[in-house]
Order: sequence, then structure tokens, then C-alpha cells
Amino acid sequence: MTDHAVSTTTRQVLLVVVFAVQLVLMLPSLVAHPHGPAAWFAYCLLTAVLGIVAGHVATGTPTPPLLAVVPLAASVLVTTALPAGASLDDPDWGFGLVGWYLLLVLVERPKALVVALGVHICLSIAWFAHAGNGDVGTAGVVILSGTSFQVGVLVITRVLHRDARLAAEAAAEHDAARTREELARQREQDLKAGFEGQLGALLPLLADLADEQVSVADPTTRLRCSVAAVQLRRLFAENDDVPDPLLHELTACVDVAERRGVVVSLAVSGTATPVPTEVRRELVAPMAQALAVAHGRAKVSLLRTADEVRVAVVADAPETLPAPGRPVAVTVETSVHGGLVRSEARWRTA
Amino acid sequence: MADGVTAVLVDDHPVVRAGVAHWLSTADVHLVASGEDPEVAWTGPGAAADVVVLDLHLNSVTPATAELRRLVEDGRRVIVYSMRSDDEIALQCLEIGALSYLTKAEGADHLVQAVKAAARGQSYTPPALAGALAGDRSETRPALSPRETEVLVEWFQSESKEFVAQRLNITLSTVNSHLERIRVKYAAIGRQAPTKAALVARAIQDGLIGLDDL
Repeated sequence: MTDHAVSTTTRQVLLVVVFAVQLVLMLPSLVAHPHGPAAWFAYCLLTAVLGIVAGHVATGTPTPPLLAVVPLAASVLVTTALPAGASLDDPDWGFGLVGWYLLLVLVERPKALVVALGVHICLSIAWFAHAGNGDVGTAGVVILSGTSFQVGVLVITRVLHRDARLAAEAAAEHDAARTREELARQREQDLKAGFEGQLGALLPLLADLADEQVSVADPTTRLRCSVAAVQLRRLFAENDDVPDPLLHELTACVDVAERRGVVVSLAVSGTATPVPTEVRRELVAPMAQALAVAHGRAKVSLLRTADEVRVAVVADAPETLPAPGRPVAVTVETSVHGGLVRSEARWRTA
Repeated sequence: MADGVTAVLVDDHPVVRAGVAHWLSTADVHLVASGEDPEVAWTGPGAAADVVVLDLHLNSVTPATAELRRLVEDGRRVIVYSMRSDDEIALQCLEIGALSYLTKAEGADHLVQAVKAAARGQSYTPPALAGALAGDRSETRPALSPRETEVLVEWFQSESKEFVAQRLNITLSTVNSHLERIRVKYAAIGRQAPTKAALVARAIQDGLIGLDDL
């Protein structure tokens, strides 16, 4: 239950309580004892307040705190209109009722309520003392029973409010934790899906090897293995947190080729520029393919000019390179001259 | 000493000095002096050598650009020989007036060609330097034609002029003259140096480049 719901319910309950107290408890007391017109006027004033608060509760708007002036005025009227010695005794129908009214109007403002109740009680006690002939014992019981009830209700309301707030905070914290958990799960799934998508030639190759449909003795299979090795090595490098990711991925591919015995030279020119991951994949792919099938020597170069990033490879390699997929963002050009394969991927930064 | 080219080498590593001496001797270039102190290029037989091969990092982290400037201002033909493939330093050395910038990762062939070209007062652009020129983003860089840029990039990528010639369907000498024109354009910018002025004057005399191109 939220703070707002607690407030609404409290006001509704108080409204019913006040209505019941006014009609069932106080009206008979008012009728049973002889009272002047001032008492009846006060009764009407309080009934009007009941009507106004009921209106505010019905529309869900907050009760204006200044309305508390009316019950206080009624308190003055009722108390001063009482016959001598009747104060804080049976005929004092107004003492308890005004307290309930103050509670009804000021339940959301505990400090103001305590002050208003204090004023009301002090006024009654003062009038009691002024008349001088009342029974102190009865008066004490009336004050204690009336106010303790009202203060009790106030305390319960505050406790309910606090609990509602704590519950709301706990719920919010729980929701936030759920969201974080969901995000982490989603991210992991995305990463996994991305990996599966990028694994390319690897999964079919592993399946073929497991099913013994291909043999590593076959040069074609070995070629597929080296292509998959370069792809995998590049994929591992892709998510590393490094200042120059493109160069990092190129170096990773060069590393795999060198392990295979290819003599690779890597030349870099120009300063690092940010390249999106998708574009990096496409830029590196043709060169990775060429390195995977290269034998002997290869030269890899990375050139970054003001408006272009160019990754090129010139290698001793079979004339037919495996297709590197269909690039979207980059232009790939592959050609063969004098036994050397040259493959270049270009990406315009601007 | 068939063509009588002499060179002096300033490098702080004995093994580099021995290696370079061997490479040059097999290519008919006489290394008349070598040492770790730049003074070998100013005194004794080194003072008269045609070409100075200067290591840019002599026992220090700061590049010896001041030494390069002193040699260039004296009219010496200098090849910078560095272990670092740093584009910015390479371009700075060209701006000062070095005829070539070679990284130690580049082999004997490039060093010999650079020394021979320098002895004739000509520039030599090895692949790494071509890459630095192609990636040059400085505001003062000269305007290169699309063909010149393509030659630079292809040479950087393949390290083979024959391959560049085949790729672009031009002759080997056209590849070389494109590279030469690019270097002349670079020589025409920045501070004045005798070697740079000679490079430009020669190119205009040979009809390699017109005044309008500069």
C-alpha cells in the first residue's frame, strides 16, 4: 500500500468515525441536556466541516488545514455555552467531538494537530477551572479517555505511513534489482548470440569433424581450420578494452598466421580513429581470410588518412580466396598480380 | 668503389655499425667512418663523405633532430636511420631536410638504394615513409594528385614497386617519378634547406615537375 493509499483510507475511516461519534454519541447528549442556541450553532458548524471534508475525500483532494479553525471556534462556543459546572462532564458533548474533528482535518499534519488539540484541551481545562465547581475526577477521566483515543489513532496513522513508505522503498529496490538482473541476462544473451553469429565457419567445421565427414589429413580441411582459427582469434580480440581496437584485431590475426609459419610484416600509418565494431569486422575479414590461406610471406598494412581507413594485405596465397561474406559498410577489392594476392578493404570515415 | 660513393654512419650500436658496413660494402658503397658520436661526420674522413647515415636515437630518448639540422644546414646529404616508425618524426625529419627516413625494420635493399639516391642528391621514399606521407593530416601538407596518392598507398601496402607498376598498369620508372614528384612537393614546403632546394631545382630542370605544381 502506498503513502497515498494510506492517507485516503485513514481519511475515509476517520470520516465514518466522526460521523458516528457526532450522530450516535453526541446528539443524544446534546438533546438530553438543556443547551442554548450557541450549542446548536456549534453543532451545525461541525456538521458543515464534516460535509466539506467528505467532499474533499470524495474528490481525492487534500483538506485545507485552515479548516481546523472551525472546530476550534466550535470548541470555544460549546465550552463557553455550557452551564456552570457542566464543563468536562456528561453534558459537555463538544469536548470529545471537537478533538475528533481536529484529527479529521489535521491528520496529515501531526505537529499542527498536536498544537490544535493542546489549545482545545487547555481551553476546556481553563473554563473548567474558571467555573470552579466541577468534579476533578470525572474531568480527568473525560480528558484522558477522549484524547488518548485520538492520540492513539494519530500514532497508528503515523506508523502505517512509515510502514507504507518502507514497503514502497523495498518494492522499488526489488524492482531495480529485477531490472538489473534482467539487463545482465539480456546482455549475456546478446553476447552469446553475437558470438554464435560471428563464429562463422567454425561451427559447421566442428560438426563435420565430429561426424568424421571430413579428415584433417585433407588439405581443404586444414585450410578451413586455419580460416576458423583466424576468425576465432579475431573474435576474442574484438571485445578487449584497448586504445586502438582495429590494430589490436589486426595484430591478433597476424599472430595466428605467424604461428602457422607465415612471415608477416605489419605496417601502420596515421593516427587511431574510432571505427564501429561492425565496420571493424568487415575491414579485418578480407585480410583475415587472406592470412588464413597464405603461405610464405604476407604484408599487412593499416593506413588511416583524414577521410579513409584502409586495411590491405599482399600475400603469397592461392588465387581463389574463400569468400569473406558480403560487406555492407566497406569496399573490398581483391586482385592477383605476379603470384601475389592483394586484398584491400576501405572504409570512408566522413 | 666503382661509383665512388662514400658514406659515414652515426649509430650508437656496434652491431648496427658492423651490419651497415657489410651491407654497404656489398653494394659498392665505401663506409669511410662510423661511430657513436656525431663528430665522426664532421672530422677526419667522415667530413668529406657523400652521405651521412644518422641514427636518430643516440643514447637518448629525445631524437637527435638538432644534429640533423646542423648537418643539413651545412649542405650534407643525410639519411635518417631510426628504430622508431613514428609518422610524426619521419615527417619532421623530411621538413628539416633529410633525403630519406628509414626504419631499422626495413632491410638492406632500402638502405643501399637510399644511400645511392642521396649520393646523387635525390630523395628515396621507403614504404614506411610512403605510409607516413599518405597518412599525413597536417594543414601544410602539399596537394597530391589522386594518382600520386594511389602510388604512395600501393607502395606502402605492397613494398614492391613491380607490384605497384602491375597493379596501376604503369612502368617502374613512372612509379619512381611519381614518388620523386611527391618528395619534391614536400621539399618545396616548410623551412629552407640546401638539399631541399637542390631537389626542387633538379626536378624542375629535368621537367619532372612544373612551377605550377608547387
